Amino acid sequence: MSNERTYKRSWKNLLINKRYQLRFTLFMVGVSALLMAALGWWVMQTANEATNVAIGQVRGEPCPKVPDISEPTDAGGDTKPTTPMKLPPDDPPPAPPSDTDDQDLGHHRNVTVTLSSITEVLPPDYAALAAGHWTCVIDHSGKIEELQQGKMRIFYVLLATGTLLAIALAFYGIKTTHKVAGPLYKITLYFNKMRDGRFDKVWPLRKGDQLVAFYDHFRHAHEGVVGMEKADVERLRALIDAAEAAGVAGSSPEVDAALADLKTILARKEKSLA
Amino acid sequence: MPDTRDTNDKDELPSATVVKDGKVPGDVPRTPPPPAKRAYKRRWSNYLLDKKLQLRYVLLVTILSALISGSLGYLVYQQEHRASDDIAASLAEQVKSDPATYGDLQKEAVADMKARDEALVLKMIGTGLGLAVILVLYLVVMTHKVAGPLYKVSNHFDQMAAGKLPKIWGLRKGDMLQDFFASFKEMYDANRARMTDDVAAMEKLVAACKAAGVAKSGDLSEELEALEAHVAARKQALS
Repeated sequence: MSNERTYKRSWKNLLINKRYQLRFTLFMVGVSALLMAALGWWVMQTANEATNVAIGQVRGEPCPKVPDISEPTDAGGDTKPTTPMKLPPDDPPPAPPSDTDDQDLGHHRNVTVTLSSITEVLPPDYAALAAGHWTCVIDHSGKIEELQQGKMRIFYVLLATGTLLAIALAFYGIKTTHKVAGPLYKITLYFNKMRDGRFDKVWPLRKGDQLVAFYDHFRHAHEGVVGMEKADVERLRALIDAAEAAGVAGSSPEVDAALADLKTILARKEKSLA
Repeated sequence: MPDTRDTNDKDELPSATVVKDGKVPGDVPRTPPPPAKRAYKRRWSNYLLDKKLQLRYVLLVTILSALISGSLGYLVYQQEHRASDDIAASLAEQVKSDPATYGDLQKEAVADMKARDEALVLKMIGTGLGLAVILVLYLVVMTHKVAGPLYKVSNHFDQMAAGKLPKIWGLRKGDMLQDFFASFKEMYDANRARMTDDVAAMEKLVAACKAAGVAKSGDLSEELEALEAHVAARKQALS
């Protein structure tokens, strides 16, 4: 049989001393959660402020204007709106054009419509201006949305980090405190044996356990009690042997009773050391 | 100087005595002072009983808090700084368009924002340091409540190792590991009671042998003497 006992930590029995372990772990998690919440709130306040400033700045950047289509521009000097042409009331309505129109100029009024009077309403770079304007507006909207998304991203990152940190700390805390609670639990098991008068061999701690010095103190204490028991056994055995050799049995009922008691004690002590 | 007065001579007037601190020399309190109570008081000087155990936890929580505060504080500063930069950039644009009107305003605003940013950093550092100090003190007290019982039990272990089992007392109010200590005390008291009973049984045999006159000489006599010495030593160990 191997003389070395190997214990393996398992997640199932990590919480040995719930009161101690949870207290320390919850304190650690609580402090972190408080810090995360308080500073996170501060971060969000500042982020909100910074985002609002940035949004204000974006909104403050002017976009190139687009001339209104319904209003003519000053280009060409014709700012008056075009009005429909009216014929004098005594004039007959114009006849449909015919091949002889050019010869009958005296009877019909000719109207010459030049395209320049229409195109002068819109500036020549209207399309570019409109495109520039709306690109700028879309760009601004995009920037504002991006800024707001950035603010929300900070919030989500904080929330996720806080949650992950709390979970990680809870596990870490329980595992760390287990390294203290483990040796204490082991010593408690030996206490129970010692309380019942059983002085078994004390095995070393697991690798990575804390309270190594404390455990050494316990081992020495155990050795001390075992030493006391051994001294008692030695003394009682020598006395009982001497009493039997001297034939004191039957000399008095008190001696017999006391001797019987000591034999019982000796047997108990020998058994406890076995 | 010894008092040479004859106290039996009642006619003689007593000589003057010097009252010092409200007491006449030779005054003896009628009632003896109460026995010294085994009251332990926590002192700051011995709060770090198990440095390794305590500092490990204290440092862990403090470093963790510092990391959280540091990174979030940096985020706060970064956001604040960004807002300041944005405002400064906006003002710079204004200055370009109208330097006369906005020049001084820009300088003033930038200086003000810089001062605010610096004050924020100082505020954060101050808060962080204050928090760290409070946290460390609290954690030392908190871990002391674990280290204290372990220290006390260690001392009892040392006594046991030396073959002594004197009477022991409970933990202080507010100490942790009460369950562990209760388990230890149960074991300790059981062993102590068993040893006491064993010593009584040994004593009983010695007394019975003496009463019966069975051990006047020989090996038994020597063994009884040895047992008597053993009982005396055990009694001392149990006292």
